[in-house]
Amino acid sequence: MIITKNIKMADVIHLNYHTLSVLNRFNIYLGFGDKTIEEVCNDKNVDINFFLEIVNTFVDKEYFPKKQLQTFSVSLITDYLKKTHQFYHEVKVPEIESLINEMIETCYTQKENIVLLKKFFNEYKQELLNHTQREEEVVYPYTLSIEKAYNQEKIDSSVVDLMKNYSINIFKTEHDDIEEKLYDLKNILIKYLPQPKNVQLCNKLIHELFILEQDLNDHSVIEDKVLVPKIRAMEKHITKKLSK
Amino acid sequence: MQNTSFVIYSPSYIIRKGLAAIIEKIYSNNTIQQIENTSEFFELIQKNETDFILLDINCPQIQKSITKLKTVSETNRIVAFYFQHKPKFDIHFIESIDINYPQNKVFKKLNKIFGKINAPDDGQNIPDEISKREADILRYIALGYSNKEIADKLFLSTHTVVTHRKNITRKLGIKTVSGLTIYAILNKLIDINDTPQI
Repeated sequence: MIITKNIKMADVIHLNYHTLSVLNRFNIYLGFGDKTIEEVCNDKNVDINFFLEIVNTFVDKEYFPKKQLQTFSVSLITDYLKKTHQFYHEVKVPEIESLINEMIETCYTQKENIVLLKKFFNEYKQELLNHTQREEEVVYPYTLSIEKAYNQEKIDSSVVDLMKNYSINIFKTEHDDIEEKLYDLKNILIKYLPQPKNVQLCNKLIHELFILEQDLNDHSVIEDKVLVPKIRAMEKHITKKLSK
Repeated sequence: MQNTSFVIYSPSYIIRKGLAAIIEKIYSNNTIQQIENTSEFFELIQKNETDFILLDINCPQIQKSITKLKTVSETNRIVAFYFQHKPKFDIHFIESIDINYPQNKVFKKLNKIFGKINAPDDGQNIPDEISKREADILRYIALGYSNKEIADKLFLSTHTVVTHRKNITRKLGIKTVSGLTIYAILNKLIDINDTPQI
């Protein structure tokens, strides 16, 4: 189902409760009564087209953003992506860490093994941090400069240098597989770790890992389907303008 | 289980969606690409990376491109779908299916085709448990040795070590060195105090 602006915000959550964390990134919080998406977005000063793009991409795996809807600015996209990074570092990762710690404290038979898992997860955490830092320090600033140049009458020569050294296609190829370790951790828990005493805790941990993995996937879908095509089109336009 | 890739070509949205839903039903480990554009279709199948092609042979664009279709080396992977009248082609399809067939007939035909890829080729059924040789290699990986070092120690070529590594990863479902190390410790292949990185 494609979500449109006249649908009630409450129904978006009924349709797919994973959208809850997406709404929070737009500073939209529960308690919106029977208001439509349009009304809530207006109240909160949120760009409706952008909101619809994000939510639809999130809900429907096959949804592909329409070109005419891509009117919003690059900074809107990168701000959103930065907020998802923040969500990983400030919410999801600490949640998972505290579950692992709780497992260590309450399990007597598997303590050593779970300490191993903890170290493994720490490595992953560092990888994730490096990954998001690279995006925030290199990739997003690049996209913003491209947007700025795109909107200028006369293109600044510094952009030419910038584009010589980097392009959004490089980002696409270097966009490394951040989910590998997560995948391993899930498999170790599901297949190989002798079952710890506290089954519920272990279930909760696996559940959280799946959610984090899903959210990371959705995050890269936004980059691949929204940000990359937009910047690629702008790069093309700039190159064309420069060659004239 | 290995991932199987399908390409579905039809200009009809209903047919594409329907075929994709059926494939999902009988085959869980797959990637399905749904294509409605002829040039995109030919571009894709010329890459020769698809396991199966589900082709709507009633559509005029395909009937116009028969000669082109024949030059593609993948014709032996095509399952043809038609509606009521089967158009005449001198191409050998693995199977032709009328979309009017009842459910059990469709499933029977598809299972016959896809069952083939599921079954092991000429007895080369690889068990999910790792072999003794693979366990040896896994031990060295966990101890932090490189492919080259492992090859030297076990008198193997680096290429052989890489192949073993791929099989270990596929069998265990663990991709990273740290993950493999934990597996090795959990299964007492190595002692926790021997590992450099953990």
